[in-house]
Amino acid sequence: MSACGSVSSQSGKNSPAVALEETSPGTSPRQRDRAIGGRGSTGLPWLLLAAMPLVAIGCGPTPAASFRLNMFEASQQRLKPSQEQQVATILAAMFGSPDEPVVLAETGLDEAKLQLAAGPVRSDIVGRKNGLYREHCAHCHGVTGDGMGPTAAFLNPYPRDYRPGVFKFKSTERADKPTHDDLVLVLRNGLAGSSMPSFDLLSESKIDALAEYVKYLSIRGEVELALMRAYFELDDEDQGKLPETREFLVEEILAPVAEAWQSAEDAVIDVPEMPADIDLVASIAKGKELFYGNKANCVKCHGVTGLGDGQANDYDDWNKVVLQAHKTVQGGLEQASKASTWEMDSDELSEHEADLVWLERFGKVLDGNALQPRMIRPRNLRQGIYRGGMRPLDLYYRIHAGINGAPMPAAKGTVPPEDIWHIVNYIRSLPYDFNGTLGVDRPMVARDRL
Amino acid sequence: MAKTFGWRCDVALAAAVLLACVGCGRGAPVAGPQADGAAATALRATLAEASEGGGGSAAAVSTGTGWATLKGTFTFLGSPAAPKELVVDKDTEVCSRGGMKLYERSLIVDDATKGLANVVVFLRKSTRVKTEASPDQVLFDQKNCEFLTPVFAARVGQPVSVKNSDPIGHNTNISGTSFNQLIPAGDSTIFTSGRETGLPVSVTCNIHPWMKAYAVFREDGYVAVSANNGSFTIPDLPAGEPLEFQVWHERATGRSGALSLDQPELKWNAKGRFKLTLTEGEVRDLGTLEVPVDAIGG
Repeated sequence: MSACGSVSSQSGKNSPAVALEETSPGTSPRQRDRAIGGRGSTGLPWLLLAAMPLVAIGCGPTPAASFRLNMFEASQQRLKPSQEQQVATILAAMFGSPDEPVVLAETGLDEAKLQLAAGPVRSDIVGRKNGLYREHCAHCHGVTGDGMGPTAAFLNPYPRDYRPGVFKFKSTERADKPTHDDLVLVLRNGLAGSSMPSFDLLSESKIDALAEYVKYLSIRGEVELALMRAYFELDDEDQGKLPETREFLVEEILAPVAEAWQSAEDAVIDVPEMPADIDLVASIAKGKELFYGNKANCVKCHGVTGLGDGQANDYDDWNKVVLQAHKTVQGGLEQASKASTWEMDSDELSEHEADLVWLERFGKVLDGNALQPRMIRPRNLRQGIYRGGMRPLDLYYRIHAGINGAPMPAAKGTVPPEDIWHIVNYIRSLPYDFNGTLGVDRPMVARDRL
Repeated sequence: MAKTFGWRCDVALAAAVLLACVGCGRGAPVAGPQADGAAATALRATLAEASEGGGGSAAAVSTGTGWATLKGTFTFLGSPAAPKELVVDKDTEVCSRGGMKLYERSLIVDDATKGLANVVVFLRKSTRVKTEASPDQVLFDQKNCEFLTPVFAARVGQPVSVKNSDPIGHNTNISGTSFNQLIPAGDSTIFTSGRETGLPVSVTCNIHPWMKAYAVFREDGYVAVSANNGSFTIPDLPAGEPLEFQVWHERATGRSGALSLDQPELKWNAKGRFKLTLTEGEVRDLGTLEVPVDAIGG
């Protein structure tokens, strides 16, 4: 039932128009119905008869998978249908489809790797698996990489939406992209404390292909956002249409995105080694002082207990935009309901009606094309579970650069490297810290106590 | 055989019902358009062609000479409601020192002149620039748990000194730039924007969520933020060629804060843009630009 299940939950209601999008590969419903009915059976029981139309409506024939347009941003930018169409066409020209990805040389992506990851799950003549992304990733991250696969709504935290091109766990500065190796590391280790599993059992070349494909979806998503935002910047003479020239699409839109990815490879944070002769007890004490002090100020969000119970009503960037959109729609509808339409001339009235149509559609998009916004909690530092990795180096990166997309700010510049190391040491001691004296008779760790 | 059949049917029905139910949970996604395959193939060929040297951007052709100045004053035609008091529930020993209260500042109107503060006006595209970006720092300070400049402008490449004059730590998070930095008590750090923002972007402190400001970064520096009396001045603009300005206010009802006024002679449109051409040496005063009540939202 896998193909059927994913279609239905992705498309929400069983409308055929919607079912065209993001279909997963698999047996066609007709084949499956035959399998259920058995060969040569006569007189199907009524139960099956009743079930069949439902199944058939739910799936329809299996069309080629397609990327889902970023309807959230399209609504946010209030694009016209013709403009949405133009973005879809430009993206198809620049990036192809989920079954046949193509890339321009400027992206710096390797098409051979992409082909290994793209397309339906299948094996070639020597039994080599293709379609890795849909086999391993699309359930959660979606065919488009919008973080809205069929299982997404049930996960906490939500799967990453690659389209804004923002990644949290990396070895580069906050504003920089992750390196290829950063993505590989996440694929290998998974993200502890989230639903992201480890894919360490996959071969090196497969992981490599998947990391490349994530970059592909991310670059594609960023280009999509840039295109949609570019409509606002158009001049009147452009008549609401983006110029379909190499100059604009490649040099102005694609190049900056691609360059950011390429430059990340040389932008790994230079981490000074932790002094070898460091006195760990003193370092932990110093780290504690910094944690609670006004310089590093970790306490404000991670709480006086370190349980992540400080500033706990914030949102990450992905959820914040959705939250703000909900406010825009609600506020807009409220304001529109208060408008005195009888005082309007015909121009104002048609503008008012257009506003209502837009708000209503945006509301539907928020309902069907976005996940319910969810707050982000500062990490509970007493559990010893760190999403971005538990090596001291990983913690150093997090503190130095902050976490892109999340409220966690960067300490670099204002907190010197040796102090960052002290904080790392203190944080690493927190899961074992308790209100008492450490000793053989008190082996309890904080996690059990709490 | 018949028994297996019945069992299989039950499974089929259960699965079908389950599918139908799952489908109802969330709203149906709004389906976007599909790509036009033929057009996409044709466009791909265009894009894949090697760039034919030079090319030169379509814009940025200067047709005029000399420089001119634009000024004006925004006034608000309504009486703004008393500003809301902000909920300060943290670090109250500093943020509410001596019973001090903080108010939201999204609509600041001068009592006497009705001048509307913090309206941003900037030139959309420039063909030439009179002065290079100044290496002087722009100060962006925070004190008493409030950003001292509600809206600030800087040039791309110009250092902004992000300062914290409080005895407690803050962080400054400039959206759209990935700048989010801890600013320890009494300390400061430098931020230099590497690229333009379209419209102003929000600046927040995640530790003290009530703190809010806006920033706008422009390549050419042709940007002004209206003062408390509503006045603004942009000097050294390229004269003798058509200019288009964008106008923004935090609470303007236009898209993303675009402030749209009824000024047909300036061709002021719904995107909050107006056009004019200045003559060399001119100081064009747009006079009083009246902002009606319904141009500002709640």
